[in-house]
Amino acid sequence: MGTATGIIKALNSGIKHIAIKRFTLRYPEEKLKFVGDGYQFDPSTGVGIAGLKGRHMLFHDHCTGCQLCSIACEGVAEAIAMVKVPDQQTQNKKSIMPQIDYGKCVFCGLCVDACPFYALYMTNDYELSSFSKEGLIYTPAQLAVKPYVTQDSEIKITDRGATHG
Amino acid sequence: MTTELPPGLALQKVDERIMTLNVGPQHPGSGHMRIIVQIDGDYIVACDPDPGYVHRGEEKMAEYRNYITNIPHLERPVIHDSCNILYPYVLGVEELLGIEVPERAKYIRVIASELNRCIYTMYWLAIYGIFLGHSTMFMWPAGDRELLIDLMEKMSGARVTHAHFVPGGVRNDLPPNFEDVCLRQVNYFEKRIKEYAAIFYDNPILIARTEKTGILSRQDAIRLGTTGSVLRASGVDYDLRKKEPYDVYDELDFQTNVLKEGDSYARSKVPWLDMMESCRIIRNALEKMPKSGSVRVKLKPNPKGGDDSVYKRVESGRGSLGCYIVSDKKPEPYRVKLSVGSFRNLIALPYLLKGEKLGNMPSVYWSLNYWPVEADR
Repeated sequence: MGTATGIIKALNSGIKHIAIKRFTLRYPEEKLKFVGDGYQFDPSTGVGIAGLKGRHMLFHDHCTGCQLCSIACEGVAEAIAMVKVPDQQTQNKKSIMPQIDYGKCVFCGLCVDACPFYALYMTNDYELSSFSKEGLIYTPAQLAVKPYVTQDSEIKITDRGATHG
Repeated sequence: MTTELPPGLALQKVDERIMTLNVGPQHPGSGHMRIIVQIDGDYIVACDPDPGYVHRGEEKMAEYRNYITNIPHLERPVIHDSCNILYPYVLGVEELLGIEVPERAKYIRVIASELNRCIYTMYWLAIYGIFLGHSTMFMWPAGDRELLIDLMEKMSGARVTHAHFVPGGVRNDLPPNFEDVCLRQVNYFEKRIKEYAAIFYDNPILIARTEKTGILSRQDAIRLGTTGSVLRASGVDYDLRKKEPYDVYDELDFQTNVLKEGDSYARSKVPWLDMMESCRIIRNALEKMPKSGSVRVKLKPNPKGGDDSVYKRVESGRGSLGCYIVSDKKPEPYRVKLSVGSFRNLIALPYLLKGEKLGNMPSVYWSLNYWPVEADR
């Protein structure tokens, strides 16, 4: 193949892309859609349920304050600290619950795997930025709130290429 | 005036024609490493690669954590290829603890590892393109990589650093409807990477810049101990997936890509051909995978290994990746040693750059498939 034909072929291959729809996502307006409700774990079978590993969600009525999540995090990020909570739960004698520092968390989900009481799982919420370091520390009360997420963009493959529709 | 030098030091004779040039460690063209190049006019006389700027002490850190909590930090050296860097560690721990992995988990691991190999190769290809001045080749792979990152994110819940492999299988089962989505996106991905031929690999300008530069002969490739795509571009048919099949690679249908030239062009082409093989492996694995079944063996909370040592290696995006684990009846390993492909390929750089023009340095250096962070561990 001659040099001229090679260059023309390369240019032609690029020019074809003018007609193709944009593939990239316009992030703050469009958000990716994720599988399910977030990463969860079933201690009875020992297998997780697929989903995004985002911000945690804590169920106060299941947490017994056993500290297993904190122990699991020790060698990884040391992001979980057990703190005293004001509300009295019958199953939580010591009234301690995890408080998570998202400045340290690496979102590996080993704390979710460690919880034997279905008290902790991870949600689809990944927008956790804050103006201060203190704002990244989520108390048990903040973790109990279910995040409001709107995510609807998926990769769509058509004859004219792939887009985030 | 002559002064006594302390023992071990020597004065270097300076040639007036030769200039020493430090490329890196902050120069974007070198990655997190320094290449000390000595040039005579436009030609490189000698070259001394100087890695070690991103040393993280991964191997020492592994001695203080148990077999499970080692997983998130061990994948940090190559976050784009995090499944492959965990693979030998996980295989080794399984042998130490005597765990038999379920069949379905083996297939999921193979799919995840092949997806990760493509993700890494696309990232590398984007960098290779931009340093040859081909900015389209930066945009396209960086965009098409999204197709596979999306699959990994559906599978493991994270876009990079998946922490998906554990001793005894994988963390979670595939989401519903994953097979169809995977097949559709991988097919489209394969169609896309075939389009790179016209714009990049058959482009006469690229061929003029990379062909016959930095030639590594077959003998030298074996003598210097290179691995992976560098070795296969020099005409040695060596792929660990074929030679020492792990998990279910011996049941899958694929071939290794070997080119004979040994120049920068061949070294950049082998990973691209490997990506097409990866697509074939993924399709084949999706077909043969058991449709249901367990994906993870339940382990004791703090598993202890015996008085034993094990060495396992896999084929990563950058060549052979080995992990040597010594256990001494404690929950923590006594020693974890990673033997990575990047570091072994770097040894060839001084031999390749000698006598080349300085302008050819990026094309030769990046064709080695070198990842500085992995080499430093």
